[in-house]
Amino acid sequence: MSAMPSQDWFWAGAGITAALAPCALMCLRGGPERRLVGIEMAGMLITIAMILFTMAARRTVFMDLPLTLAIMSFGGGLVYARFLEKHL
Amino acid sequence: MSLHAIILDGLLGIAVLACWTGVVGMLRMRHATQALHYLSFPASLGIGAVTAAVFLENGFGAAGLKTLLIGLVLLAINSVVTHASARAIRTRQLGHWEPLAGDAVEWLTPPPPPEQQP
Repeated sequence: MSAMPSQDWFWAGAGITAALAPCALMCLRGGPERRLVGIEMAGMLITIAMILFTMAARRTVFMDLPLTLAIMSFGGGLVYARFLEKHL
Repeated sequence: MSLHAIILDGLLGIAVLACWTGVVGMLRMRHATQALHYLSFPASLGIGAVTAAVFLENGFGAAGLKTLLIGLVLLAINSVVTHASARAIRTRQLGHWEPLAGDAVEWLTPPPPPEQQP
């Protein structure tokens, strides 16, 4: 394990977490179609940010959380799309 | 600053830039189906740079392999969910998703008047 300080990972994670603000803006405004895109983008960004924070904290055991979120956001995205198509 | 640190910072920078490019592009697009295209930035370039950075940092350990798995899952998910979303948006607005006669396939430009139709 290199002696790399881990704050680079932390700052990268913080930079990507900050990108959630425009996603929230997208989710809060506009038609339901645009909100769906905002939710899907947010799911992806959170997955990437969790990887970076896992590396920053040097707790690679927690890498299962972003893996689980990546798989779950797949189901969630499809359910939202289906709901938008049929019921909204 | 070692070469390892420089490369690592470069990869992490690419990941952050890719995610922000996707988000800004998504916001700027007027139509939801246009905004869907920008989901691919974090799902390909962003997670790819992060996976490379984790391999650089940890080598072929568990964390690297799990990050690679996450990258493959995101890559596969993104295409399926994007397609499902585009289909849902089209169905919601036209009542069907199949391209039927008389449909304005390109919504942004109204179909030509009947006499000029090829």
